[in-house]
Amino acid sequence: MNDISRTLPDEAERHRLLQSPINGDGLMLLFEAGLLWLTTNQQYVNSLNVFPVPDGDTGTNMVLTMQAAFAEADQNRSTNVGETGRHFAQGALMGARGNSGVILSQIWRGFSRALDHYETMDTGLLMRAMQEGRNTAYKGVVRPVEGTILTVIKDMTTAAEEALKDDSSLSQMLVSIVEAGDESVKHTPELLPILKQAGVVDSGGMGLFYIFEGMLRMLQGLSLDASGAVLKPLAELDLSHALETVEEGQDYEVVIDFAPNGNFMLEQYYDGLSDIGTSIQVGEGDGIYRMHIHTALDKRYEPIAYTESLGVVKKIMMENLQDQMNGRNKEADKLTLATVNPGEVAVVAVSPGDGLSRIFASLGVAAIVQGGQTMNPSVKELVGAFENLPTDKIIILPNNKNIILAAQNAAKVSVKKIAIIPTRNAPQGFAAMLRLYPEGTLEENEESMREAITEVHTGEITISTRSVEIEGVQVEKGQVIALHDGKLVSSAPTIEEALDELFQKAHLDEIERITFFYGEGITQQQVNKLGDRVREGYPDKEIEIHEGGQPHYQLIIAFE
Amino acid sequence: MTTQSNQQGSIFILPQAIKTVARNAALQSYGVISLAPANPAETVSRFFKKEADVGILVNTEEDGVSLELNLIIEYGLRIKSVADSVVESVKYSVEKTMGIPVKRVDVHVRGLRISNPD
Repeated sequence: MNDISRTLPDEAERHRLLQSPINGDGLMLLFEAGLLWLTTNQQYVNSLNVFPVPDGDTGTNMVLTMQAAFAEADQNRSTNVGETGRHFAQGALMGARGNSGVILSQIWRGFSRALDHYETMDTGLLMRAMQEGRNTAYKGVVRPVEGTILTVIKDMTTAAEEALKDDSSLSQMLVSIVEAGDESVKHTPELLPILKQAGVVDSGGMGLFYIFEGMLRMLQGLSLDASGAVLKPLAELDLSHALETVEEGQDYEVVIDFAPNGNFMLEQYYDGLSDIGTSIQVGEGDGIYRMHIHTALDKRYEPIAYTESLGVVKKIMMENLQDQMNGRNKEADKLTLATVNPGEVAVVAVSPGDGLSRIFASLGVAAIVQGGQTMNPSVKELVGAFENLPTDKIIILPNNKNIILAAQNAAKVSVKKIAIIPTRNAPQGFAAMLRLYPEGTLEENEESMREAITEVHTGEITISTRSVEIEGVQVEKGQVIALHDGKLVSSAPTIEEALDELFQKAHLDEIERITFFYGEGITQQQVNKLGDRVREGYPDKEIEIHEGGQPHYQLIIAFE
Repeated sequence: MTTQSNQQGSIFILPQAIKTVARNAALQSYGVISLAPANPAETVSRFFKKEADVGILVNTEEDGVSLELNLIIEYGLRIKSVADSVVESVKYSVEKTMGIPVKRVDVHVRGLRISNPD
């Protein structure tokens, strides 16, 4: 895209270039506008693709075709419309991608043929170019399928013919073409049942509409930028704002899943939403849209009513951010650690993440030391954690094999009686904590905890930091690797694949419950998706998901 | 012949049926003008064959079918893009309507039709 993101000409220059009859430079400006506006709406066009294969790249294919066309014409600039059109069509032909791209290249081929030998283009020539474009496009197929881009170019051409009869100006003619295109696109589901079933309009036709609408917008001096209306894939939607500070007028977070009507316009939807609230995001996946917005207290139902008017609402999630913030702050500020009575057994746990610390605290840990894989706590830190506790019976849960040694050293330097349970990870630590009996002796506690840690199995998902071969598994740097009880079991390009392999090796027939603790480098949403996948694959297992907050490991998984 | 079985019985699909579906999908693809005889022998024998037979070969494999298509394509199109969409839409149609996995689709471009010399 960078090659064409030059600054567009200013108001006066634009006015001069687009004065009918337009020359080659003016035509280039129109082509460029069409390309820019199509690019802006590319994701939306992609989301409409159902025919014949739901591969979702019509928008991208059309943009690439238009880019190739524009680049070719840009290299051979001419003030002559015939020359400009010829190079544009040539570029489109060479760069045509996908079915819609090929048809688009044919439209430009016919279009340019009509311009051949002309210096400038007036309304009459534009009409003839549209006709030629339509004819050429139809010639390329033995059995034309109506309800596609072909129908849209046909209807646009008819509108151009009508407009010429009415003696329209160039911009009036473009208005007619764009209006007819809009109508035609909306009508495509009536002609093509597969579109109606999918509840969308034809993507190629929509793309063609955006190209001409872009030209019209240029003529009218309207913006061709994203204007905030950017559609992201659903998985990229980052809805974790709630953890940050809440500003004025952001009392509620509303998330709505909906299936839009056929004539849904993303940009208009954004405009409507921006009157209601802030932090607007819209994502799309499998034809379902997800909208996210922050609103003031009194406006919290408005996004729902508004979205209902534009499509079918599937699911609504609403959260009181103000209250959530208050709650979260309290939680984050102080962990409620267990109070230890004199003479009782107290547990010190090493925890790599906030979420895990909270779980340890809730299980009755008396002190927590931050530490993990690459941030081993010092002996001093460990001793400091339990030295002031009013008891001499201390249990240390290192929760990482690299920390066991430091724990042993801490035991040596302290005068207290210390037992170290060699927990290698958080799930083992949790299993051990469940056996804690503070009134018992240190030996009793140690024995039952050591037994407990053999009953839980652990899976870990992380990203490899170097290429290596371990135990017959070839690992490339940057790949996702899965460990089962500390042993490398899988190396795969995606977390999903690594998880699948991990689960195959985890002897799941003896497992009742699978708990995910997610850490850095993965969003809650991604984890929820993974959780859903696992639920589907293993319906008889109980799945739990907790925030772990640990670094390096995207997931720590407990199998019990 | 392709066979699919369940407790209620079996479904047999003959190559002829697959050819008809593939032929229709190919002809509906943008840029495809017609199917062409695969070789001189077929050119002769086409007088005795049904239309749907010309230019399409169906090979039944262990777990699906592979297809060979011989096409005439409109001149002035990017052949690769046209061929790609033919492959996609033939594969999609056969798999969707017949439930038979399509292992591969080979496209032979036998010629181009020039309808607009420019």
